Amino acid sequence: MSEPILEVSGLTACYGMISALKGIGFYVNDNEIVGIVGPNGAGKTTLLESIAGSMHIKEGQINFLGHQIERWPVLKRRQLGLMLVPQEGNIFPLMSVKKNLEVSVILSNRAKKEELIDRVYKLFPVLWEKRRQIANTLSGGQQKMLAVGIGIASNAKVMLIDEPSIGLAPKLVTKLFETLKKIKEDTRTTIVLSEQNIKVLNIADRLFGLEAGEIRFDEKTENLSRDVVKDLYLGSIS
Amino acid sequence: MILNGIITGLIMGGILSLPVLGVAVIYGITGIPNFAIGVIGVFGGFLTWYFLSFNMGIAILVGVVFCFAIGYIIQRILLTPISERGGDSTLFFIVTVSLGFVFEGLMRAIFPRPSISLALPRIGTINIAGVTVEGFKIFALLFALGTLVIIRLLEEHTEIGKSWQATSQNLKLAKLIGIKTNRVFSIASGIGCALACVGAIFWGSLYNLNLMTGWDLGFLGFIIAVVGGIGNIWGGIISALIMGMVMSFSGYLLGGMWQSVILYFIVILVLIVAPKGILGSERSL
Ligand SMILES: Nc1ncnc2c1ncn2[C@@H]1O[C@H](COP(=O)(O)OP(=O)(O)OP(=O)(O)O)[C@@H](O)[C@H]1O
Ligand SMILES: [Mg+2]
Repeated sequence: MSEPILEVSGLTACYGMISALKGIGFYVNDNEIVGIVGPNGAGKTTLLESIAGSMHIKEGQINFLGHQIERWPVLKRRQLGLMLVPQEGNIFPLMSVKKNLEVSVILSNRAKKEELIDRVYKLFPVLWEKRRQIANTLSGGQQKMLAVGIGIASNAKVMLIDEPSIGLAPKLVTKLFETLKKIKEDTRTTIVLSEQNIKVLNIADRLFGLEAGEIRFDEKTENLSRDVVKDLYLGSIS
Repeated sequence: MILNGIITGLIMGGILSLPVLGVAVIYGITGIPNFAIGVIGVFGGFLTWYFLSFNMGIAILVGVVFCFAIGYIIQRILLTPISERGGDSTLFFIVTVSLGFVFEGLMRAIFPRPSISLALPRIGTINIAGVTVEGFKIFALLFALGTLVIIRLLEEHTEIGKSWQATSQNLKLAKLIGIKTNRVFSIASGIGCALACVGAIFWGSLYNLNLMTGWDLGFLGFIIAVVGGIGNIWGGIISALIMGMVMSFSGYLLGGMWQSVILYFIVILVLIVAPKGILGSERSL
């Protein structure tokens, strides 16, 4: 087994007086799909934003590819190979689909740019059909695909995706998850996704259960029962 | 003299559209209302005046480059840091108006004359349907419209332009995909101030420049931008041309002292009917 490519330890973060992460330890191996599951308000978004650098953390270390990055600005983390597809505000609303993708390959060289954009169109043919359409006129599901497409176009080593399945029809969720798996296999991208959809069990190699800012379990997916995972979600409803 | 009024209005509007463009570019990209750009532009105009006897091309370049640099620097060391710490519009109003006073004071201290007019070469006259217009005025109008077209083309077809658009539409995502957004902000601010300077140079050669002109140009530029839909370049230009007409006709029909009464009355009227301006204030270019 290889060393973790991304490792987080003792991570705490808060919004004013509210503490959202209370000492998170968490790691991701190379070319894995890791799921972070947990109820609303568990801290999934806060965790991913902290890793990407768009949220200031209070304490803790983040190690990525052998660098201590917890004080680095977003851009520097991006250049080293991290990319976050946020839960909300994850497209450029007034640009065409094509331009959204063109601007997302900004860090790649000329030849690579075209290859990346082609890859996105192959994975999501509907984006190719709608390439001239302004992004905020796409349907919710299509916008979600564009958001993931932007993540793919960025050609990151580790792609963090915050709840990609929200608002997607069940069939589309299955399809999107299959696509993520394909991306992992074809490009050796490591994927960390936060999810509330039970289907994440079908693609994740490992799952972290997050609740109230704390890690509740860290398991290989094959060792987890649907019930355990479901319990964690149901906990949020009561 | 309807035609005469229209032509005068178009030219005034055309020149005004330069500071309006400046406001639109800065606000559209950084989201910061900068009330100092008029004064900074006029400062550049004074610099151009100072070096004019030396060489016209160099004099204009000195003014414009100076303003670009000032815009770049104030964004970099002052406005971006404030905005990162969550500054709101009230704070930006205070900070940028203070900056304006700083530059006004500097002008007073540095330049020997409080009122100047720039002697740029005239290009002869052109006859439009019986009305004689100075070629230079036509040039000013064409220059303003040309600048607009160039900015639009840059934006649509260059990588830099795309990253400007991305930054203005979704700052957080722009950062995440690797755009150097702080640099985009600084350049936008530099371009905005440089445009204000070009506007001031034209203004100074057709009318005159004094210590107050900067505030007039800046605030008028701002108000016109708001009427067009702040941050919206097309709206700004259309609104500048309309306002130019309003000024010209109210001047002709009622005399100069009524100009601003009518102008601001119409501004208020438009904003009551369309609070987001003629074309809406999507923060896009
Ligand atoms: N901007 C904010 N200001 C104050 N508190 C916040 C803010 N954002 C999140 N929180 C709080 O931090 C905690 C974690 O929120 P977070 O968004 O990380 O949860 P999440 O697991 O992503 O939830 P969801 O599934 O609803 O997206 C919550 O208790 C939430 O109320
Ligand atoms: Mg969330």
